[in-house]
This record gives sequence, C-alpha cells and structure tokens, in this order.
Amino acid sequence: MNYPTIFSITEAEIDLNDLLAQITLRSTGAAAIFTGIVRGETKRGDAHDTEYLEYEAYVPMAEAKLKQVADEIRTRWPIVEGIAIVQRIGKLYPKTPTVLIACTAAHRDTGVFDAARYGIDRLKEIVPIWKKEVGSNGEFWVEGEYTPKAGE
Amino acid sequence: MNRVKLLFFATLRDRAGTKSMELEIPADLTVQGLKDKISDEYPNLKQSMSSVLITINREYAFDEAVIPQNAELAMFPPVSGG
Repeated sequence: MNYPTIFSITEAEIDLNDLLAQITLRSTGAAAIFTGIVRGETKRGDAHDTEYLEYEAYVPMAEAKLKQVADEIRTRWPIVEGIAIVQRIGKLYPKTPTVLIACTAAHRDTGVFDAARYGIDRLKEIVPIWKKEVGSNGEFWVEGEYTPKAGE
Repeated sequence: MNRVKLLFFATLRDRAGTKSMELEIPADLTVQGLKDKISDEYPNLKQSMSSVLITINREYAFDEAVIPQNAELAMFPPVSGG
C-alpha cells in the first residue's frame, strides 16, 4: 500500500481542505490535525503583543527534514495512513495559520493523535526554520532549545 | 585547500551581514576548526559560536566531523519553526 505523504515549505496560504482531501483514503475514518497560529496577544509568561512573525527556512534542508519527520511517524505508528506537514514562511500576521500537521488513520483510537503531536514536536526540534517576532517587545529572533545530534 | 560554501540563517545572517560566503579552508578542517576560524575572523559571530548548529550537505554535523570537498555548509541558531 502506497500511503500519501505531503511535506512542503510554502509562502502560500495553507489550504486545510485540500490537504485533508489528499491524505484521506477510502479506508480512512479519522484525521488528527494540528495547526499553529500567530498569536497576537501573549498572556503566559512575559505578556506582550505581536504585530507579526517573519519566518524563514533553509528550504532544501527543511523539506528533507519534514520528509524525515514523516518517515519517523510511519516507523512509530505504522497504522497511520496519510501524512501532511506544511510550514508557511514569510511575514504572517495574528490569526494566520503558520504550520499544519495532519495524520489520518482508520480509527481514532490507533495512536493517530500521538502521531500528529509527535510531528509538530519533532518539527520544532530538527527542521531548519526560524521566526523573527515583531511587536510590543521590539524585534527579535526566537531561538529554540533543542540541539540535534549528528545525523539526526 | 578546499573550497566550500557557507550559508547563514536568522541571527547568524544578521550578524554576518550576508546570506552566504565562499571560503578556502584547509583540507582536514573539522567543524570545530571552522567555528574557531569564524570566531577569529568575524568577531561579530564569536558570541554565536557556543550554541550554533552546523550542517554539512544539509545534515547536522558533530564538532569532530571533517569537512569534505566542495561542501555546502550552514550555520544557524537552534530552530524555531511551527
């Protein structure tokens, strides 16, 4: 069985319906979808307002690493049918979806929620994408905390 | 000598003032050696070298890795996608 896997870095709007249709098979009965959104008002921690986020990526490596994340999901959750992982880059304003990870499976109790959760967590560890935040705290690059190991 | 391309992203690009450069490096230079060389030659980047991530031909590399001929190298801070 050849399951659909979609992975891309794009400047275009993320089309959830189109992506979902592409990873839905006749045997699919469940889809777990996570999407990250630009938050205009942050209340947790250092409270501040965000005017926009500016994303950039090392595109060829980022697309290869998105594929790797999808491969890792398939190794851990062989029941997953379709996978879509899309990161939008460029200048993105509050309320805009920035990233989407969707996994489909026959049933919801198959680990499909965990698979999607793993996808977004792993993307934030190893996929070379960065965001600059511009808002009430000024302008600064957000830096992650994870140091990938060689070959990871 | 070995001619390589070095790409910069995010904070590293801002501090370097350029997206990429071509470098002539010794044939047996390691990733750690490259960090030392960049620290010496580009004082603006020195503060970034302790947490910087380095890739060789689009894969994460250990400090001990020897840089191959005509490699595409990249330097960037820990990633923050999502």
